[in-house]
Formats: sequence, structure tokens, C-alpha cells
Amino acid sequence: MTGKIIKALTIFLCHLGIAAAAGPDCSRSFTLALHDHGLLYSADTDSGIDKDVAEEIIRRSGCKVTVTLMPRARIWQLIESGALDFSLSGITNVERDKFASFAWYFSNRYYLLVRRDIEARTLADFEKQDKFQLGVIRGFRYSESANRLVDKLDASGRVSQAGGLAPLYQTLLSNRIQGMIIEPFDFPALEEKKIRDMSSIIEFSDPSVPHGLIMSKKSLTGVEQDKWRSIVNSMRSDGSMRRIFLKYFKPELADALVSF
Amino acid sequence: MARLHFTSPVLRTLLAVLPWLVLSMGLGVTWFAWNHERQITHDALRSQFDFALRETVNRIEQRVQGYEQMLRGVQSLFATTSFHNRAAFRDYVESLQLDANFSGVQALGLVEWVPSQQLTAHLASMRAAGLRNYSIEPAAAREAYAPIVQREPYVGRNRASIGGDVWIDPVRRLALEKARDSGMTAISGKVVLMVSRETPNAPPGFVMYLPIYAQGKDHINNQQRRAHLTGWVYASFHVNDFMASLYGSQPDGLQLALYDGTDATESSLLYRASERDWLGGQPAASANEYLVVAGHNWTLSLSTLAAFEDRYGGGVATQTAQTGVVLSILLTLLVWLTIHGRAHAVRLAESMTEQLRHVAQHDALTGLPNRALFSDRLSRELARAQRHDGRFAMAFLDLDNFKPINDNFGHAIGDQVLQQVAMRLQSCIRAEDTVGRIGGDEFVMLLSGLGTSDAILNLAETVRASVRMPIRLEGRELTVSCSMGVAIYPQDGTDTISLTKCADQAMYRAKSEGRDCIRLCMESKEPAA
Repeated sequence: MTGKIIKALTIFLCHLGIAAAAGPDCSRSFTLALHDHGLLYSADTDSGIDKDVAEEIIRRSGCKVTVTLMPRARIWQLIESGALDFSLSGITNVERDKFASFAWYFSNRYYLLVRRDIEARTLADFEKQDKFQLGVIRGFRYSESANRLVDKLDASGRVSQAGGLAPLYQTLLSNRIQGMIIEPFDFPALEEKKIRDMSSIIEFSDPSVPHGLIMSKKSLTGVEQDKWRSIVNSMRSDGSMRRIFLKYFKPELADALVSF
Repeated sequence: MARLHFTSPVLRTLLAVLPWLVLSMGLGVTWFAWNHERQITHDALRSQFDFALRETVNRIEQRVQGYEQMLRGVQSLFATTSFHNRAAFRDYVESLQLDANFSGVQALGLVEWVPSQQLTAHLASMRAAGLRNYSIEPAAAREAYAPIVQREPYVGRNRASIGGDVWIDPVRRLALEKARDSGMTAISGKVVLMVSRETPNAPPGFVMYLPIYAQGKDHINNQQRRAHLTGWVYASFHVNDFMASLYGSQPDGLQLALYDGTDATESSLLYRASERDWLGGQPAASANEYLVVAGHNWTLSLSTLAAFEDRYGGGVATQTAQTGVVLSILLTLLVWLTIHGRAHAVRLAESMTEQLRHVAQHDALTGLPNRALFSDRLSRELARAQRHDGRFAMAFLDLDNFKPINDNFGHAIGDQVLQQVAMRLQSCIRAEDTVGRIGGDEFVMLLSGLGTSDAILNLAETVRASVRMPIRLEGRELTVSCSMGVAIYPQDGTDTISLTKCADQAMYRAKSEGRDCIRLCMESKEPAA
């Protein structure tokens, strides 16, 4: 009997040990930055998908994480320098892979939102008219052909940079830009009747692009990155990630975003 | 070969268009080089411009963040002390040492949230704090008030009366609400600062608000934030002071303007950098960037000026074009000179060759064919006559008593006599005949195609009579005669040697038989008188 108790105790303690080893090292406090971007996060209401995701990750990690708001371009600079540990909804490319690691939690496609009155039905229609300006958010990258369009127009001075979505919608309405690149979580803004009535959507033919928790390679070791990644994966596997998305989207769209 | 080059029509055309071809190619290459250089320059300028734009945006965002941190310090202060602890706020601002580092800040202050039901208590509290004349402006009754209750540092313009309600100004109210609901800093639109209200042409300003919530109360969601709002801490700025306080320095040669919102209009203009070197016209690069600073939109408008374009655009493309055009023209001139110089040289050589040929074949004194040319023509006439069974005559003519003229009147006169005789001989014969000078006073004639001996003699007689005509020279009248021997082909000989010999003998016979007469080779013929 005593032997059984000792054996059970040993197994319990082992599990405790494994559980402790699986969690991130909380011996210091961390920093996480959000950026104001549609349904991902709205500073006006201090709410959004990424805020919910951040809170859940922080809760599961048990660590102290200070959450701040800053422009996307600044976030990437600080992730690269190691001054910032985390951010959310990041996509990768060759350059970013050098300084950041990711834990994917949703995937989506990109769309070109254009003014209806410019009568552009394809990407080529938009590209060939020199007078059309494209609005983008500084520090943002998109899917392959969207990046190609941005880079090409930028080389000829046809790209207007912005610090966030709000000024892009305003400049689209005032015809200072004629197109902007959007994602599904920007769609609710389209439900503002004025924008919906005056715009149309052109699809990029690229596959969905995964978005995830951004981790600075400078401030987190590979082992620690894996621990944080496993938290995100556990949120996906136990359905809590889907539940967060269901707060903001209809079930079909939420499923399409988190199932990849 | 040179003659061939210049006489071939194809080559002549090619040589004529060659300079233009060289010019076209030179200008073409210049255009390519200029265009390439222009593209490189444009890319470099664009890259520098993009960098300057990004840096300017960063500097503004970082400065705003700096001021946000400053407000968060005040927010932290009220996490540990009462919002009404005026001395603590004054001391805190004083300890911040708002020196040059914060020179952009006009004032730091507190705005209290006063719902109407708390108005009386608020006024009493303010007056109890020593502000006996305190009142909220405007005084009309409202649902809620947001008066400025403290402004620090309390110097200069900041001594302006407090109690002004900022809630009634829609521009400020929007930022106050935004800050209250988000719990974060919010920047107002373009305003005239309270402290500058009385100043004519007051510079544009903006106010940054950060909410203060009641101590010990949650403010996690909108409802809690609205319920537990105590007030706001604010920093007010004149935009030109704010821009002057940016870290780093603005690159030279850029026109910078900052507008409130996303419409770049004069009414929304917040700030414009010095226009001292603004030349107007189309800038090489310009861009609008839409900033989101503390939840508010600003439009940053940046354009290049001449100084920037000169530094990064350089004059390399222009220099390339100028050098290319000049070199193309010089190269074209060189080709033109080479071609036309060569043609001129060939023409000169041809002319000189012709002159040399003439000198070699003619007598220098009289211009008549000399012995060599005459022999050549005799051979040709002989060949022609042999081919066609023709006849021709050859006459040797020697002036009689010419030596005394030289002796008496000198060689100059003698030479002139010879020239006159030569002219007379030429005037007597036909175009197809030849007269040449073969020695001092000896002449020779080739009379082509004459049928009978009589016709030959008649022509010879005309010549003899012409020579005998008096010659007037320098007031003198001189008379010379000639003795002539005539040989006729084929009867007097069938080759040049026999004909020459025969004519020569006949001429000597004329000399020996009294001069001034004509003798034929044929002995049987009677000489003419």
C-alpha cells in the first residue's frame, strides 16, 4: 500500500515537474505591443481579437507581460532590436525570419479595396493608371502578389503610407488614394455604408497567409520561443482560439480563419 | 583608288550621310547614358527622400511617445495621491524641469470631470483651496463640466485664469472622450490654446489628454472607465514649439508641412517649415504620410526643394547630357572634316596632275602641243588613216631669218613673235588639225582628212600667207616668212619615220629654193609660189 502511495506521489511530482518545465521562464517581465487595426485591436474601445489573444496567452503563461500600443513599423523595429518581446498578428518573410519567430493562430487572404468610380476590375486595371494612388500601412507586408504591386507602385511614387487603417479609409473617401489593401478583419469597417457604397473588391490570387504571435529572437531563446508557441498551439487545439474569433466573426468566417 | 572612292555614287552618298549618322549615334548614346544616369539619380533621390520621410515620421511619433510618458508620470502620481492635491502636482511638474528637453510643452494641467450634481461641491472645494474667485466659464448650467483646475508651471501666459470648460469645445471634447473610453492618451484636433485665446493670430496648437480614474476602482471596460473618471491630465502645445523640440535634425532641402486630419488644406495647416528656398514648381519627389499619433490623424506633407535635389539628384545627368552633346558634335565635325578634307586634297591632286600633264605635253612659250604630244597625235592619226584608208598631211614649218630678230630686238621680242606666229597658225587650221612647236622657230602641222593634194596645198598656202602678215610689237612692224615642207600619207610614206623624214627634206628644199615657199615631197609636183 505504502509502495503504491509512493509510486503515485512520484508520478504526481513528475507531472508537476514536466508542467513546470513546459511553461515559459517567468523570471522577468515581458513586453507585448498591439497595433490599432480594425477588429484586431481598436484603441477607441480598447478591445479586439489580439487583445483577447494576448490576455489568454498571458494568463496561460503565468508571466507578467506589459501590453502597450504602438505603430506597426515601430513594433517591427523593436522586435528586431530585442527591446520588445512580443506582438500579434504578424506575417513572415525572409527578412523578418532573421530576427523573429512566429506561432501561427490564423490565416487569411488579402484583397485590394478600390473606389468604385475608378472602374478598375483587375489588379492590372489599377496598376496601369498612373494617377491611382495606393494606400498602405507603414511596416506592413502582405501576400506575394500584393507585395509585388506595392513595391512596383512605390518605385514610381504611387504609394501613400499611413500609420493605421483609419486615415486610409478617410483618404479613400476623399479620393486622395484610390485603393488600399485590406484583410477580412478590416471588413466590418466596410459595413460603414458610405465606404461599402463607394468601393469594390479585387482579389489577389495568392493563397492564405498565416498570421501569428511574433517573438523577438534577440530577447527569447529558441527553447523559450517553443514554450510560448506551445501555449498558442494549446489555444488552437482546445478551441479557445476559435471561441475568440467567434466573438468577432460569423462562424463560417471564424472557421475559415482559424482552420489552416 | 581614291578617285574610285569619290566617284562611286553609293560611296559618295554614304560619305555624305556619314557625319549625320555619327551625330545620330552620338546623340543616341548620349540619350541612353543620360536616361540611365537620370534613372539612377531618380532612384537615389527617391531612396533618400523615403528615408527622410520615414525618419521625420519616426521623430514625430517618438516625440509624441515621449510626451505620453510624461503624462503617464502624472497619471502615476495620482495613483498615489489625491487628484485635488494641488501642491503635489505643482511639485511634480517642477521636478520634471520642463527645460529645453520639453520646450514643446506650453503647459501641463488638470481638467476635472464635474457632473452637474457635483458642481456645488466642486466650486466649494476649489474656493477652499484658496481660489476665492474661481468659477467655471461659461457659467450656463449643463449636464457636466470639464474645467481646467490647475495649470503648471504657473508662469507667464500660464497665469491665465483657470476654470475654462473644455468640454464645450467639440474638438477638445472628442479627444477627452476618446481618452476617457480608451484609457490612453488622445490628441485633440487643431485648437487655439486657452492661454493664447487673447493673442491675435495665435499659433495653431493641440492638446494631449490622459484620463485619471478614481483610485482603487477598476477601469477595465468602457462602463467602468466612464463611471470612475476623475479627470484628465493634459499637456498643451503650440505646434511650432512641438516641431522645434523634435530629436535629431530635419534634412536640408525639404519642405515640410503638417496638417490636422487627412485633408491637407490651409485651414487644417498646423505647421509649415521655413519657405526661404521654396522655388515653387514641381518637386522631384513629394509624398503625404498619414500619421496616427495618440489616436489622432495628422498628415505629414514632404516635398523636395532645389537644395535636396542638387545634393542627391546632382547634376550628373545634366552633365552627361551636355558632355555627350558636345562630344557628339565634335566627333561629327571631325568626321566631316576628314571626309571633306580628303575630297579637297584629291581634287587638288587631280588639278595639279592635269597641270603637270599639260606642262609635259605643251610648249611653255606658245602653249602649242610639244614634240611628245604631236608624236602621239601623229601615231593616232596614222592608225586611224590606216584603218579607214584615209589621207592626211604632215607639214614642217621653219621661220625664215628669225635669228636676226632675236639678235636685233632681243629674245623678249623674239618670243613675242613666236607667240604671234603660233596664234596665227592655230587660227588657220581646223579644229581637227594639230599644230605644234618642236624647236626654236620650227613648227609642225598635222592636217587630217584632206582629200586632194590641192586642198592640202591651199591650206598650207593660207598658213604661209598668214605668217607673212606684218606683226606689230611695241610700235614696231616686223615681218617674218616661213618655209614649209609637206608629206602626204600614204603616197609619201606609210609610217611616222618616213613621213617625218620626207616632210623634213621637203622643208629644207623650200629653204634652199629661196625660202617663203612650200614644197611637197613628191618631186613631180610643182611648188607653190
